[in-house]
Amino acid sequence: MTALDHIELSLEQSLDHCIKCNICTAACPVGAVTDLFPGPKYVGPQAQRFRKPGQPSPDESVDYCSGCRVCNEVCPTGVKIMELNTRAKARIVEQRGLPLRGWLLGYQYLFGKLACGPQAAIANFFANNRLVRSLTEQVIGIARHAPLPRFSRFSFRSWFGRRTTGDRQKRQVVYFHGCATNYYEPRIGQAAVEVLEHNGFEVIIPEQGCCGLPLLSNGAFSHAKRHHEYNVARLAPYVERGIPIVGTSTSCTLTLKEEAPELLAMHDRATRMVAENTYDIFEFLRLLHEQGELKTDFQPIEAVLPYHAPCQQRAHRIGRPALDILELVPGLKLNESSAACCGLAGSYGYKAEKYQVAMDVGADLFSWVQQSGSDTAVCDSEICRWQIAHGAGVTMRHPIELLRDAYGQPADRRA
Amino acid sequence: MRDTYVIGAGLAGLMGALALAEAGRRPLVLAKGQGTPLWAAGTIDLWPEAPRRAIAALAETNPEHPYARIGIDAIVAAVERFQALAQAGHYPYVGSIDTTVLLPTALGALRPATLLPATMAAGDMRLGGELLIAGFRELRDFFPPLAARNLQQQGIAARGIYLDVPPIGRRLDFTTRSFAQLFDDAAFRHQIGVQLRAQRGSATRIGLPAVLGLRDPLAVVADLQDQSGVPIFEIPTLPPSVPGMRLFRLFERAIVAAGGRLQIGSEVLQGAGRDGQFQAILNGAAPRPQRHRVERLLLASGGVAGGGIRTDHTGAVWEVALGLPISAPSSRGSWFAARALDAAGHPIYRAGVATDAQLRPLDAAGKIVYRNVVVGGSALAGADTLRERARSGVSLASGWAAGQLLAQE
Repeated sequence: MTALDHIELSLEQSLDHCIKCNICTAACPVGAVTDLFPGPKYVGPQAQRFRKPGQPSPDESVDYCSGCRVCNEVCPTGVKIMELNTRAKARIVEQRGLPLRGWLLGYQYLFGKLACGPQAAIANFFANNRLVRSLTEQVIGIARHAPLPRFSRFSFRSWFGRRTTGDRQKRQVVYFHGCATNYYEPRIGQAAVEVLEHNGFEVIIPEQGCCGLPLLSNGAFSHAKRHHEYNVARLAPYVERGIPIVGTSTSCTLTLKEEAPELLAMHDRATRMVAENTYDIFEFLRLLHEQGELKTDFQPIEAVLPYHAPCQQRAHRIGRPALDILELVPGLKLNESSAACCGLAGSYGYKAEKYQVAMDVGADLFSWVQQSGSDTAVCDSEICRWQIAHGAGVTMRHPIELLRDAYGQPADRRA
Repeated sequence: MRDTYVIGAGLAGLMGALALAEAGRRPLVLAKGQGTPLWAAGTIDLWPEAPRRAIAALAETNPEHPYARIGIDAIVAAVERFQALAQAGHYPYVGSIDTTVLLPTALGALRPATLLPATMAAGDMRLGGELLIAGFRELRDFFPPLAARNLQQQGIAARGIYLDVPPIGRRLDFTTRSFAQLFDDAAFRHQIGVQLRAQRGSATRIGLPAVLGLRDPLAVVADLQDQSGVPIFEIPTLPPSVPGMRLFRLFERAIVAAGGRLQIGSEVLQGAGRDGQFQAILNGAAPRPQRHRVERLLLASGGVAGGGIRTDHTGAVWEVALGLPISAPSSRGSWFAARALDAAGHPIYRAGVATDAQLRPLDAAGKIVYRNVVVGGSALAGADTLRERARSGVSLASGWAAGQLLAQE
C-alpha cells in the first residue's frame, strides 16, 4: 500500500462515520450566504461516494468550499470533511490542469519577491491602480475590490540580517516567518523576535519558502509538495538538534503541522519531525508559561479590543493561546468574536465570482467589530486581518504586537 | 490559566459549565463537535407525567436513578436556573415541573414535554379546537398532510397544507437553517403570514415547522400571529434542530459572559490520574495532543448515542474520554431482554458510570475513583432515559447538579 492509498483509506473510513445529521450544513458559513454551495455534507461525504478513479468529478460545486474547516470543527462524529473537499478539488486540477488564476494565487509569493524593497511604492501603485485591478479582474478573474496587502519597503529577512543584537543564548528557537511577514508585514516578525529574545531565546531564521497552503487550497498538490519538501529539508536539521519551530502565521504553522503531511500523504520521518515540533507562537509561549518560564514583567495596556480567532487557528484545536497569554497583561481585555469565519479563507475571496460570498460571510464579523467602537481589532492570521480591515475599516494587529508592547520594547519599525 | 474542565457540549455539559462559570471557576468546555442539542427537539422532558411526583417516587423504586441521586431540590433548582437563563436570552421556556403537556410531532404523534420554548406553547393539545399544520414542500421530512391525517386518527381536528415559498425566498435548496434565516427577514414572514390568513379557514391555531427564526423567534411568532389572526406554534423537525441551535447559542453566550470558554472540535482522547485525584487530560490537536492540567473535571460526554460510551461486538463497554469504570451487563448475551419491546427495557440502556450522591465516579467495589471528577448527563448509569422520556431532563438536572457540586470541590 502506498502512502497515498493510506490517506485515501483513512478518508474513506472517516466518511463512513457520517450519520447525515447535517450539523456541518447548519454551521457552514458559505452555505449560509449562498446556495451556489450546497453544503459540506453534500460535496463531502455524500459526493465522495461517487468519486471513483477514472471517472469524472460528480460535482463542480466543491469549488465553492472555502476550506475554512468549520465543518470539521462542529462534526460530532469526526468526519474529515474539509480534507475530502480539498482532495476533490485536487482531482479536478489533476484532470484539467491548473488554471492561470490558480497558479497566480498559488504562487503569489513570487510577486512579493519582485515587489518588496525600495521599489515597493511603485509596485503598490500598480497593484492598487483601478485600471490594473479592473483589467486583472476581467482577464484573470481576480476580484478588483479584494484587499491586497501593501508590499513593504524592506523585507523581514533583510531587517533581521542587518541586526547586531541577538546574542548567542543557551536556548534557541527557529522562527518560520511566512511570506506575508517577509514581504508585507515585517513588523509582525520584528515583534515575534523581540518577544522571543526578551524571554531569553536566540532566534534562528533559516532559509525557508512558502508553506504551500495557497497551492494546496487551489488543488495544485504536486506544486505544494515541492514546497513542503523544500521546507522540510531546511527545517529538519534544526529539529534534529532539538530546536523547536514557531510561527506567527496560523495558516503556515497549520500547513507545517498537519495540512501538508496529511493532504500530500508525506509520512517520512523528517516531515513528521518538523510537524511535531512546529508551534503557533502563542501555543509555544503558553507552554513556557505552564512551565513557569514566561517572563511576566508586563506594563499595563489599558484597552478593550475585539479579537477574532481565524478559522485556520481554530483548526489547530489548541484553544485560544493568544487570549490565554494576553489575559496576563494588566488592563488588557480581549473580547472574542463568535463569528465562524471572516470569509476570505486564503485565496477564496480573491476570486472574482467569490468576492461577494466572502464579504457576505464576513458581514456579521465586520459589524460586530464596528459595534465594539474600537478603532483597532486583533487577529492571528494575515489574510483575515486584511479582510477585516477591508470590511470593518479598522486597524488590525497581530496579538504578538500587543505582547511586545506589554513588554515595553521599542517598536523598531525602521529599515 | 484554566484548571476546571467540562467534557461535552450537550445539555449536561452546558448546564454544568454555566454553574461552574457562575461560581467563578472559568471552565473550559472541550467537545468533539457540536453536540446533541442540534439533534434534539429543544424541549426539556423531565418525565412523561407529573414529573415532580414521579421523581419523588424514584427515591423508593429506583434509588440508583440519577434523579434519585441528585434529589428533587437540585432538580427544581436546575429548572429554575434554566428558565431564568432562557428568559434573559429572550427565548423563554414555559411549563413547570408539576405538569407535562402533549405536543404534536412532525408525524402527528403526541409527545410529552415538561418545559417548552414559548414558540411551541400553542401546540399544547389540551387547548382543543382545530389545527392547521402548514409546511413547505422544499423542507425535507416535514409532511403536513401526513401529520394532519395521523392527528385525525387520534380524534383531533386537523388539516395539513403546503405554503408557497415567496419569490424573495427562492433558493436552489433548503435546510432548516436556511428557512430560519428567511424567517428572520420581516418581509419574508409577512408574505407567509398573508398566506396563512388566506388558508386558515376554521382553524383555531396553526403549527409550522420549528424554523421560525434564529435571531428573535418570539418576534417571528408574534408577527405571524398578528397576520394570521390565530396562535402559531412550532413543531420540531428532523436534525439539524433550529431550537437546538438557539439553545446552544443561549448557553454559549452566558458561559462566555461568565468567564468560561468553549473549545469545539477538540476530542478528549485520554486522561490520567492517581491516588483518587484526576490530574490531566489530552485533547486531539494538530499534530500532537494538547495537554491540560486538571484541578476539577465534569464528564458530560454522553452515552452510546452521544459518543461518550462505546461498545463492540465482543460485549465490551467502555467510557471513551477518561476510561472510567462502567456499570454494564457482564456479557453481550445479557444486553437485551428477550422481547424487543419489553416493558422493563433492555439492561444495556442503563449502562454508564455509577456514582455516589455527589456524582463522583465509583468502581465496581463502590469506591470513589477520583474525588475531583463528577459525572452528568447520559454518561450516568441507572437510567434508561429514552424509554423514560427523560433524556433532556436528566441531562439538564444532573449537569447543573454536577457543576454545582464540582464548583465547591
